[in-house]
Parts: sequence; C-alpha cells; structure tokens
Amino acid sequence: MLRERFSRLPNGLEGSERNRRILQALTILVALFISGLALDGSAADLQPPPPGSDAKEIARRAEDSLRSARTTLDASMTVVSPRLSAPRVVRFQSWEERDTKRSMVRILSPAKDAGTGFLKLHPNLWMFVPRVERTIRIPPSMMLQSWMGSDMTNDDLVKESSTLDDYSHTLLGLDPSPESNPELPAYVVEYIPNEDAPVVWGKIVAWIEQEHGTPLQQDFYDEDGSLLRRMQFSDVRAVGERRVPYRWAMTPLDKEGHSTTIEIESIVFDAEIDPSIFTKRNLRKARR
Amino acid sequence: MSLEWRLAWRNVWRNPRRTGLTVSATVFAVALLVLMSALSTGMWEKIIDDSVSMGSGHVTLTGPNYLEERTLEQYTYLDAPLATRLGENPAIAGYAPRVNAFGLLSDADVTRGVMVIGVDPELEKSVSSLPDRIKSGRFLEKGKNREVVLGGRLAEILGVKIGDQVLLYSVAYSLESAYDLFSVAGIMHLPDPALDRGLALISLADAQAFFVYGNRISEVAIRVREADHSASLAEQLGSSLDPEKIEAHPWPEVMPDLAQTVVIDKLGMYLMLAILVIVVAFGIFNTILMAVLERKREFGVVLALGLRPRAIFRIVYLESILLAGVGLTLGLLVAIPLVLYLQANPIPITNSEEMAAAFEMVGTDPVIYAKLIANNPILSALTILLVALLAALYPAIRASQGKPVDVLRSL
Repeated sequence: MLRERFSRLPNGLEGSERNRRILQALTILVALFISGLALDGSAADLQPPPPGSDAKEIARRAEDSLRSARTTLDASMTVVSPRLSAPRVVRFQSWEERDTKRSMVRILSPAKDAGTGFLKLHPNLWMFVPRVERTIRIPPSMMLQSWMGSDMTNDDLVKESSTLDDYSHTLLGLDPSPESNPELPAYVVEYIPNEDAPVVWGKIVAWIEQEHGTPLQQDFYDEDGSLLRRMQFSDVRAVGERRVPYRWAMTPLDKEGHSTTIEIESIVFDAEIDPSIFTKRNLRKARR
Repeated sequence: MSLEWRLAWRNVWRNPRRTGLTVSATVFAVALLVLMSALSTGMWEKIIDDSVSMGSGHVTLTGPNYLEERTLEQYTYLDAPLATRLGENPAIAGYAPRVNAFGLLSDADVTRGVMVIGVDPELEKSVSSLPDRIKSGRFLEKGKNREVVLGGRLAEILGVKIGDQVLLYSVAYSLESAYDLFSVAGIMHLPDPALDRGLALISLADAQAFFVYGNRISEVAIRVREADHSASLAEQLGSSLDPEKIEAHPWPEVMPDLAQTVVIDKLGMYLMLAILVIVVAFGIFNTILMAVLERKREFGVVLALGLRPRAIFRIVYLESILLAGVGLTLGLLVAIPLVLYLQANPIPITNSEEMAAAFEMVGTDPVIYAKLIANNPILSALTILLVALLAALYPAIRASQGKPVDVLRSL
C-alpha cells in the first residue's frame, strides 16, 4: 500500500513539492501509527484494580461461569461470510465432563450435517460422518482448521488448553465501562501462555465482569502481538448462582466480513451425564 | 599487418614453456566457465521445470489476491473464449484449470491433512508431469467419478492400496461440511517429499461438486513452449485480461522462494567464476609483461630502425590476443563436447543416498544434467578475451614507450 502510494506521486513534480508531499504522507502515517497504538492499548483509560484482587482468582471465576464439572448445552451457531448470501446456521448439542477432559458435540441441523458428531477423549478428537458411516481421528496438525465452516477452530471446540493451568495471569486494571457491555465494570486480565502449553496464541486479553466474574470480551493476539480475533460476550442471564453470557460473537480481524455468533438456547450446569455418552459407540449413533 | 601478425605469432612461441603454461591455464578457465555455467543452467532448468510441471505451470492465471490468501475465496473462471485464446496462442504448449483446496483424508484410524487438487484428467497431461509420475495404478480418467490419486508416502501413511476407499473431508465453499468416499485409482512417486506426503488429486468435476464451487476454479496452469518466455507471456496475457477478475503471474511470482534461490545460487557461481577469471588475467598479464621486459633491447633496436611505437603496441597486443585465442579455442574444444555429452547423457546419482536426499530437498530427481545455451560459451569466450585485452594494456604501453637512446646506451 505504502509503496504504491509513493510510486504514484507524479514524477514531474518539482523536488521541493515532492518532498513536501512525502513529508505530508509520512506525517499522516505517523499519526495513524500513534492512533493505532492508542487503539491497541485500550488499557489507556484503565483504573487501578481494588487492592487485594488476584488475577488468577478472577480468571478462575471467569472459567467457572461458563463451565462446571458436567455441562450440557443446546446452541445455535450463525456464520456470516462474504461468500454466503444468507448466514449459515448450525444447531448443535454439547456435553462436557471437565475433569476427565471428555466432551461430545452433535450437530442437529442443517440437514446435510445433521448427525455429525465430535467426541473428545483426551488427547484425541474423533469425528463421525453419518452419511458415509465413517469415524475420523482429527490429527493435531488440523486443530486450527475451521470447525463446521465457522471462524471457530477445532481447537476452540476441544479446548485442549486450560485458561487456568496453561497461562500466567496479570491484572492490567479495571475498565469502568467495557466496549462490549458498557454498564458492567470489568477487570482486564492479560493471559500469557506458559512455555510448553498447547496454545497457539501469543497472549489473550480478557475483560471479566467485576461482580460476578462473567467473561465479557476476549482479545486474541498472535505471537507478533497483533490482534487476530475478538470474542464478545453479551446477553448475560442469571443461571442459578452464575451470570452466563448467552451470546458469544467471534470476529476474526484478519478476514473482512466474517463473523461467527453462538447463541445458547439452553444450558445446564452440574448436569447428570450418562458416561456412555462419551464413547465411540455413541459417537456412531447418528440421531438424525 | 600480416607482418605484425607473423611477428606476434613467432613471439608467442619464443618461450614455449611459459606460453604453454598460460595457455593451459586459459584452457582450464574457459572449460570450467563453460562447464560450470552449463551445469548450473541445466540443474536450475531441471529444478524449475520439475517445479512448474508439478506446480502451477510457467504462467498461472488466478483470481485477484489468490497468491496472498490461497483459499477457496479467491477464485476465477475459465470461460470458453479464454480457453480458445489460450488454446490458439502459439507460445502456449498447454493449459489446465484446477481447483486447489485443503482437506482431511482418512482411512480407518489414520487421518492426514492434504492438499487436494481438482484437475482436468485430459488437459492436465499437456501441462504437468503428475500424470507421468504414476508408479502404480493409473491417472484419473475422464468420466470416472470419485477417484483419487495419491502421493506415494501419503498412501503408505494411510495404509491404502489401489481400489481402496478413502474418506475426504473438508469445508465446502458454501461453508457446509463436505465429505465423500473416493476410491484410490493411482499412486504417484513425487520427488518432493512434502508433496509425496501431502498431495491428493481428484477430477476437476468432482472437486467442483465436492466443494460446492460451481464452475469456479483456483487457477489455470499454463505451460509455455520456451521457458524463457514465461514473463513476457504473463505480461501479454495480463494486459488483455480484466484485472478485477483474473491475473496472470509468471512462475517467479507463484514460487518466489524458488526464484530467490536461483538468483542467490547464480550470484554465488558468478562470484567463483569471477575469481577464476581474475587468476587467469594475472597469468596472461605476467606472461606478456615478462615477454616485453626481456625484449627491451629488441624493441629499442627496432625503434631506432624506424618502427613506429604504435606498431610495437599493436604487436604486443596481438601476442596477447593470440595467447588468449589459442587458450579459448582449445578450452571450448574441450568443454563443448563434454557439455553436449552430459546434456545427452544425464548422470543419475544412484550410489549416494545423501546426495539423492539433497536433490529431494529441492524437489527434483537426483540426476546431474548439463544444458548448453549458446550465449554461455560465447560469454565465457568474450570474458576471457576482454581480460586478455585488459591484461596486455600495461605491457603494451611499456613496450611502445621505450626510448631508443636509453635502450641502446644500456647495451
């Protein structure tokens, strides 16, 4: 872009005129750069956190507000992409058992994908494709591929890494009015992955609501420190003790016009789950 | 004039041993120049040819931004008028539309991420060497549906043989899940291990159906008749196409790494050859300077007899040209037949696995192959000649500037 802009300067210009224009362009660039910095560090207008607040504890509350020992949920996922004339909506059902790192996801619709299942039995991820009656093990190298055509990856699905154990946490401050939910003051916590953690991100910056620990926003950065995607949580509802965001919107910042939104239809925490759910036998039972 | 030539020729052979040494150094240098540049030309021509014929052709037509992103989202079309134009262009040996995508290929418990290329079974043969690299089974055929051809190591990893069914899973252009069973029609042997482990070919029609891609394509690979014309053909095609919809790239744009490696390797070779040429230059310089210094008196006498200094300058120069000329002729006589022989009989490397592995790294068959292009011996000869002319400059000036009085006084 830059080079193009310069090479398009009319060549016949007087030297001084050209220099002036180049200077002008540079000034604009510097201004852009500085404003970019300001955007990037939205930490600029953070307040100091209340004394005694612990970053790891805040991260734990955030994780607990979305997960429990055994969680089931029904949800729909809406994928928006410039290639689609109408958004693609995928409905699915999910079961998760936290301490055994097992989970199961079954696609309910659209019809073409209905019955497709994903089973995570740590550390493997299996997929069952009903139409051809085949089970595939998804290799680790494929973890960053799109899940069901969305902006979510297989890695997001299996959450192989733990936001608690695989990261070190730093409290950056308190944001009195976060962008995603201005009326909910939130802690801003920076997650830096540990050396050997199975994590693809360079860092994550999370906004976690002060009172209930509800996650409000997560910014995912790559290893060079550029913002790759943003997850915003909204529609916070009370479920028992928890305050749960029912709407999770993911925007990849490197792909224009793409977004993926997950809307929870129903969620049960500390549910009873029959252990036979997490079996390859069950995976192969397509309920169309 | 002919007298000067005769004098020069006699003077060259006045000290046969010295001349012989200089001539053999020149022969050696010329032969090395020609042989090395021919080997380098041959090696790179082979690597580039292998790369374009297993890759995207000498010239690639793609949709805008395809090279940056390389996903299904950057597509183009090959409509009938364009196909006709490509077919009628005399510079084009063949063209082939393709769909390039990514998928999971699985058999039983083994799953691999692979590059899936949808190819037109007929057109592909005019562009790529992939159909010739089948080691068992056969290539895709027109009209046969849901067949796949795999790289050798990929087939091994999946543990499949001809006739087996493998599951291909991916995300379609429509973002739906795409999956289907394909039966293995053929297994290729590809020298590039990355391709051999990760390439699966299906038919273009299957690919367009599988990826819900309509009649979109990722690229048109074009093979040109003369590899040197890739850039000019790309430019010619590019200027006549709508840049909003389709772009033409010569192979260095499609494979920038390879293009860079070629440049770096050639620079390194030219540097070595330059050092060689400098050594030869000093040899010639030394011979001529000696020959001049030991004939100081002779020059004094002929000057006193009335020969013009310019004539002496010319004689010394002719000596140097003759010296270089003899060396050049002999050098070319040694090198050209050798290169032509290597060109006709490439040497396969069979006895060293390490060498073979090094060739595999650059994705080509382990064969030493030379290629003579006319301007490389001509350039080598001209370089040596130029060097001889430069080297003779100082001795010739020295010789012509002697004053007869000084010389005769020292007798």
